[in-house]
Amino acid sequence: MKKSKRSKMQAVSFSLVLSLLLALTVTACGSGNGNSTAQPNSSPDSAVNEPGGTTNETNPAEEELKPESGAELTVWEAKEQVEYMKQLAADFEKEYGVPVKVEEMAGGDQGTRLATDGPSKLAADVLTLPHDQIGQAVKAGLLLPNDVFEEETKSTMVETAIQASTYDGILYGYPKSVETYALFYNKDLISEAPKTWEDVIAFANTYNKPKENKFAIMWEFVGYYSYPFIGSFGGYIYGDNNTNIKDIGLNNEGTVKGFTFLQSLKGILPLNAGDITYDVKTQLFQEGKLAMNIDGPWSIAMFKDHINLGVAPLPKGPDGEDSVSFSGVKSYYVNSYTAYPVASRLFAHFASNKENQLKNFEMTGAIPASIEAGEAPVIKDDPIISGFFKQFQHSVPMPSISEIKSVWEPLKAAFVSLWNDPGLDVKQTLDKTVSTIQADLDSK
Amino acid sequence: MHKKTGAALLSAIIPGLGQFFNRQWLKGLVFLLVGSAGIYFIAHDLMGYLRGLITLGEFPSRMVKVGKLTRMVEGDHSIFMMINGLMSLLALLFYTAFHLLNIRDAFLVGAARDRNEPIHSFGESLRHMGRRNFAYLVLAIPFVAVVFLTILPLVFSVLLAFTNYADPILPPAHLVDWVGFGNFKKMLSLDVWSSTFGGVLTWTLIWAIIATATTYIGGVLIAVLIHQPRVRWKKLWRTLLIVPFAIPNMISLLVMRNMFNNQFGPINSYVRALGLEGVAWLTNPFWAKVTVILANMWIGIPVTMILAFGVLTTIPRDMYEAAEVDGAGAFYKFRMVTLPMVLFATAPILIMQFAGNINSFNVIYLMTNGEPVNPNYQYAGHTDLLVTWLYKLALNQSQYSFASVIGIVIFLLVATFSIWSYRRTRSYKEEDMIA
Repeated sequence: MKKSKRSKMQAVSFSLVLSLLLALTVTACGSGNGNSTAQPNSSPDSAVNEPGGTTNETNPAEEELKPESGAELTVWEAKEQVEYMKQLAADFEKEYGVPVKVEEMAGGDQGTRLATDGPSKLAADVLTLPHDQIGQAVKAGLLLPNDVFEEETKSTMVETAIQASTYDGILYGYPKSVETYALFYNKDLISEAPKTWEDVIAFANTYNKPKENKFAIMWEFVGYYSYPFIGSFGGYIYGDNNTNIKDIGLNNEGTVKGFTFLQSLKGILPLNAGDITYDVKTQLFQEGKLAMNIDGPWSIAMFKDHINLGVAPLPKGPDGEDSVSFSGVKSYYVNSYTAYPVASRLFAHFASNKENQLKNFEMTGAIPASIEAGEAPVIKDDPIISGFFKQFQHSVPMPSISEIKSVWEPLKAAFVSLWNDPGLDVKQTLDKTVSTIQADLDSK
Repeated sequence: MHKKTGAALLSAIIPGLGQFFNRQWLKGLVFLLVGSAGIYFIAHDLMGYLRGLITLGEFPSRMVKVGKLTRMVEGDHSIFMMINGLMSLLALLFYTAFHLLNIRDAFLVGAARDRNEPIHSFGESLRHMGRRNFAYLVLAIPFVAVVFLTILPLVFSVLLAFTNYADPILPPAHLVDWVGFGNFKKMLSLDVWSSTFGGVLTWTLIWAIIATATTYIGGVLIAVLIHQPRVRWKKLWRTLLIVPFAIPNMISLLVMRNMFNNQFGPINSYVRALGLEGVAWLTNPFWAKVTVILANMWIGIPVTMILAFGVLTTIPRDMYEAAEVDGAGAFYKFRMVTLPMVLFATAPILIMQFAGNINSFNVIYLMTNGEPVNPNYQYAGHTDLLVTWLYKLALNQSQYSFASVIGIVIFLLVATFSIWSYRRTRSYKEEDMIA
């Protein structure tokens, strides 16, 4: 029988239907999960808000906190700390009987991954965040407050660390380590660390040889390193400890004074800001051409074996005031989507205690945030770490409100352009910087 | 009433009924199963998801304190609802297509019965399918994959441009809302945004034109040069010039970044050794632009060169001989024979390169990261292209909705240029060069 047109048509539609069947099974699976998020949840006036609506009225703080039965935790940890974290996880399991899985995740990615993986229930229960990322996470409701151990944390950790792990007046973090930049110096080129910028200038006048790439001091021109020229002179970014965005202090008298002072330093570092990159200054410092380098603890390993390294607090300003640096605080945080909120709290608290902070210092060099750990002889007698610790006393935590994002780029632009062009009017430039920041805040 | 109308009507009411009516039991059963599964999902889940796509959630998640312990009460996550809603929409489209096909099938078989022709058994239908419509079956899987893995994310990112999804409105603690063309209006009316947008857009276009022209001309010239009969060691030159293409972009760009350093880079050291001033390669806005174009030439020229080599070897010798007989010199031969042939063959590539250069993320991001900084711009520097600006907005500033607006602009740019110029090329019109 010869194939008629009809049977061909039939076959076409039948096969199309079958392929669609395929497609439908795929989509049915695809849209079938995530049910829990699609259904509108309990209305706002559910039992939770009504007094007595909850199951038990005993105050959990008065009892010994116990991890949920069958709890298993996952922790995200950056590569350099995975080894330490694995030991800590084993200790925790010994003590509480809760197994902890350590997953490697770069420090800078944890915040962004939490935003997507948290609500999908794929994120770790406990993670580490630098304090300037917590604003985003808190606003999105991704972190549980440090409520049960609040008093204990506040009494055992450095004030700056507490301030940094707090957002909108609520403490979220369990401080882990602190960092700030200080003055690295090469003892073979300059035996004593200069106490003031005047001493730095005096040394530079004898040492600088730009033709041979010999310079006295270098720092990077990004907003992070600009703070000594702001905070030390009475300037600030936002008012009320960087929380009041109505009050921008980047064009007040103090900042103008500080940046004018910055311009006066061009003589000892006659380079364009864009040429001083991290790579360049690291190499020069390693080669023993650069005498002083403003850098942070993350670079210690780069220099320790190459040169005779010393670390001191930043040089004092022209009126003898201490130079104020920006500091960063890393803390443990609990993911609000965790299935085991109590076990997670216990773990974050356990991980941030004095002994574990010291262990972390021994294994990775992370500077502790705990007051007692900071007084331990290992820290106190370490010439390099104590330099950071002294500088940390005169530091301000980087703002953690997310409005800081409006600041970094314009601040860097001002920092760079004022440096590159010492003839530029400081006040006018800073006014412009502030209006850029203002415009950005208004556009949100 | 004809059997075809009856069957079609029955199938329209419930998939598979018409097939039963046509006495195609197994086929009917398959249709009935798929149909009922589809209808079940539409009634049970899909409507909720689609509503979610419209409302984008009603209750954000929130924290509740019980005694000392704070816990989170989960709410709606606008972004997840958007994705689920889109998926449902696509599933619904698929189901509609299935439903229509099942009606059509019933109608066709019914019509055959009206003509008293024998109907196919299930086995026959299957065999038919395997023979006649093998292509549809094979393509079905990639088609579904494309819809869900390519089209869906595209639509999703376009939709973001019409929401207020940007810091501080971050789900799940906040609900995202539809704002229509609000972001586009902001982009054009707010001074900081519009001046940045205008500046970055202009530079992007200038960059795309210059980058494409330089790499193309450079590549063709070098190829023609090496192709000259008088040039010796052709293979050696070719190999040497392909090396830049063989080294991964990322490495050569990061190396160049250090080479062009104003103070410490080797390039300026040589220039200074000659007693000259040296150029602020990466720190002066104008020179930074020149530098990225130079770096791009290093990476892009070999590609065009390889293409041009291929074309040059296909040009018939006798055309040159004919030109010589007519008294053409070397330049004329190049202008009247070589160049048109090369252009004709490589025109489509030229367009692809132009479109690619609009989005050449690597060169800018690795070489300058958009610097030198421009204090008048909103999160962008002098050398930022639209695409690197988008990256900064989304990843560093959480301005997802604005990033998405820029994404749409980039798409429109690339699409218009590509379509417009492609349709003007001779290769599209399928004219032959050598008639």
